[in-house]
Amino acid sequence: MNSSIVILILGMAVVTYLPRFVPMLVLSNRKVPEKLVKWMSFIPVSIFSALVFSDVFFWNSEVNVHPLENVKLLPTLLVFYIAYKTQNLLWSMAFGILGISVMILFTSI
Amino acid sequence: MLLYEAGISVFGIGLMSTLVFAGAGQFMAASMLTAGATVPSIIIMTFFLNLRHLLMSSSIAPFFKKKSMPFLMLYSHTLADESYALNYTQFRTDKEWSTDSALTTNLLAYSSWVLSTILGGYIGSAFAFNATIMNYVLIAMFICMLVSQFVSRIFVIVGLVAGVLSVLLMVLLNHNIALVIAAVIASFVGYLLDERREKKQAAEGESVQNEQ
Repeated sequence: MNSSIVILILGMAVVTYLPRFVPMLVLSNRKVPEKLVKWMSFIPVSIFSALVFSDVFFWNSEVNVHPLENVKLLPTLLVFYIAYKTQNLLWSMAFGILGISVMILFTSI
Repeated sequence: MLLYEAGISVFGIGLMSTLVFAGAGQFMAASMLTAGATVPSIIIMTFFLNLRHLLMSSSIAPFFKKKSMPFLMLYSHTLADESYALNYTQFRTDKEWSTDSALTTNLLAYSSWVLSTILGGYIGSAFAFNATIMNYVLIAMFICMLVSQFVSRIFVIVGLVAGVLSVLLMVLLNHNIALVIAAVIASFVGYLLDERREKKQAAEGESVQNEQ
């Protein structure tokens, strides 16, 4: 295996571990202020939303809201609906794969 | 699977999943390697991408009072989006959910990730897959986790704010740090909205008492 790949893996390991461990170490045996807890309760929803939006609205590194060019837009509506109805991770992923495959096939014709 | 296509051997993939355990980070590494990015830039991007775990780890830490150092170290290493979402919800809704249940969840997710990425490496070495589809699987997963967070109207508003901000900041900064900034601002908006709602409720409660 290439030595730069080893460095990549070790580097990624360090920067992955530190943000997970340091708060555990500092905050687990201390009383966290209520205001901080309240603020943090909104973090997951913010992160997931930022991850989704910043991906699906971009096509070829540019914002693209044309539903026939940016093939991710329509499947995203479908997956939102499925996720809302079923609350099930596997169904959401399955319909996601189905939706995006149909769009790719459709636009490549 | 994507990493294999980026030129990392099956052994390398296994090693990476064991030591790094960051789904999104590994997906990103795959796409950046394919695009010819340098090692330091991938490491820096991984750090920014994983800053979200700083926030997750902080929010779940209060449930881990008086746990031993090895326990915390192992839990931290196996903390991930999916198991965090599950554990956090369980801690808040299920009184019987213990730190042991949480660690078990993490370890299950961890081991299945390591095994499935190795398996994926073998499959990837045998077949060619469409990168857009592979990436979208991850997005579909995030959408489902996002929807499961919509427990009240404030959470939906915060989600929208975070989403719109992330797109705007991505355009402005052209950098993944946009996601971190958007999430921090949006969760602060959520905090302010929640404070306002509580004040309003308190005021209504008083007026009801006055009428009586």
